[in-house]
Amino acid sequence: MNAVPRTAPAAEATLLPWAPELTGDAAAAAPSPPPRATPVLGALWLPLRLAWRQLRAERARLASAIAGVLFACVLVFMQLGFRSALFDSATALLSAMRADIFLMHPLTTVSFKPEMLPRIRASQAMALPEVQAAVPVYLAQATWRNPEDGTRRPVQLVGFDTESGVMNFPGLAPLIETLKRPDAMAFDRRSRPEFGAVPRLLAERGPFKVQVGNRQMEVVGLVEIGPSFGADGNIVMSEVNFRRVVKERQASQVDLVAIRLRPGADREAAVARLRALLPADVMVMSQPQLVAHERNYWETATPIGFIFAFGSLMGLIVGMVIVYQILFSDIASHLREYATLKAIGYSNFFLGRAVLSAALILAVLGFLPGLAISTLLYDVVGKGTFLPLEMDASRALSVFAMIFTMCGLAGLLAMRKLRDANPADMF
Amino acid sequence: MTPSPVALRGVTYAYGTGDLARPVLRDVDLTVAPGEVVLLTGPSGSGKTTLLTLIGALRALQQGSATVLGQQLAGASERERTALRRRIGFIFQQHNLLGFLTARQNVAMALELDPATTERGRLARAGEMLAAVGLADKCESRPDQLSGGQRQRVAVARALAGQPGLILADEPTAALDRQSGGDVVRLLRDLARRRGVPILMVTHDPRILDIADRIIAMEDGRILPANEADAVQAH
Repeated sequence: MNAVPRTAPAAEATLLPWAPELTGDAAAAAPSPPPRATPVLGALWLPLRLAWRQLRAERARLASAIAGVLFACVLVFMQLGFRSALFDSATALLSAMRADIFLMHPLTTVSFKPEMLPRIRASQAMALPEVQAAVPVYLAQATWRNPEDGTRRPVQLVGFDTESGVMNFPGLAPLIETLKRPDAMAFDRRSRPEFGAVPRLLAERGPFKVQVGNRQMEVVGLVEIGPSFGADGNIVMSEVNFRRVVKERQASQVDLVAIRLRPGADREAAVARLRALLPADVMVMSQPQLVAHERNYWETATPIGFIFAFGSLMGLIVGMVIVYQILFSDIASHLREYATLKAIGYSNFFLGRAVLSAALILAVLGFLPGLAISTLLYDVVGKGTFLPLEMDASRALSVFAMIFTMCGLAGLLAMRKLRDANPADMF
Repeated sequence: MTPSPVALRGVTYAYGTGDLARPVLRDVDLTVAPGEVVLLTGPSGSGKTTLLTLIGALRALQQGSATVLGQQLAGASERERTALRRRIGFIFQQHNLLGFLTARQNVAMALELDPATTERGRLARAGEMLAAVGLADKCESRPDQLSGGQRQRVAVARALAGQPGLILADEPTAALDRQSGGDVVRLLRDLARRRGVPILMVTHDPRILDIADRIIAMEDGRILPANEADAVQAH
């Protein structure tokens, strides 16, 4: 069988595998240029380019893959946006109360259903030299009659010593004098429109009468607080006017005590000293702690946090399935070509990187329009629902990380299909 | 003495294991000399394609020893086999070009495995190879814009672009008509011979037997002695 070949190409033998001087090809004789591209860059760039060329070749498939990622992206953005907007709005009232330290009853879980604490604690807090002022705050809900159409709706009442300067609601300072008048109150301009177009009426008529509870009160100005879960609207008034509306309320029982420290006083030290000073029927919290306490209630005692996390997860899973399907069918329909590439020396690792690159290209191509659409939706939906929906960089980054992970996982799953590309089956 | 590009000793191969094992190659010895053009013929199931996949390092060797381009395949790792495949030019029954790449990009794919090449160099080299197979004007065409014979010529250019030490071809004319099939294998033979590259080609096609330096006939997993092979050829 090892018969002598009919023509013996002996001369070429020593020059294997390449003998340009014998070929007569001018091109073949040209030495290849010295290596310039760094291997690591090439190892990442070449599979990425292959993936992009493959994706680009089938426009319809690419479009549906991008649409899938975009869908997941918008869904996650909206879920996270709503979640944070609801938490932000849940704490809107407390965030607007700008005092240094608050006293609250330990059993108060959420501000719209407070346990009352003795008013005397406010006076006791004054024992500390660094406390400049401590004012009792009364919270209650009453019905507000819409000045335009007469419908009634519960509104949050906040009553405290408006002269003390302890709780500086935005917009309150110029109203201090007028709020001293009997039955005067300031309306929250960010309340929902169902309360009536109060800012417009105020601008047109000046101060005007509105029924709150069973009493005719007078809107004399506007503050800025924002609606929350517990209340769609807020009104702020002096302690005396509060008691005129909520007659059954005893002055000795308050809902919160707001404390302002002297300038330069250490807040954390003051909190610690107040805790030591006051009896166990009050909880001493700095303002951020109070907001966190309120937020914690909505996160843990209600299913809100879970609902939105679940919604985000569903969006990511749907997106992952779509991306997986696209990548999988891309591999399945190019199985022969992938097997050929393996036959000519491409490794599984290289082809795996190509599949992963395709997944990551889809992540970027889906995320960018997703971000743009979500920003637009935030604006539109935020205006429609009065929820504080805002795109911020940290949320955009974390959603990108999620989408990136989602596509990466889909790519890793699809890569298993590469094993079916067996170069030995090519012959 | 120059080592042979392909040297097989006592290669035996079976599909399946245990009682179900179905031997397809029995004690095959085969040597291909440098620059030689060898055709493998034989009926279906004679083991010639399996032999080709073993030499091409596409399957792991079970028994015997095989040295291909200096690489011992008995006990070779997947990594070693992948590295060896980069030094072999493959031509398949179908062209198996990537449909989303142009002819030039397809040929350049064979060169991208070498990190020492640059993009410019690869594309230039791919263009030269396409010119050598007579497709200088089709560089930017996609495979679906080419005829069957043209596609197979692109596949020839791809197989030769990487300066392989050995060409393995599996019925490269099966999907082509007489004229273009003959053109493609003669082109392959001429280009390989000029470069001193040996060719091992499986074929059923009696029209192309004349390109061979040597014809090896296989039957039932064995290589027939030379005189019987001549008899087969004479039919």
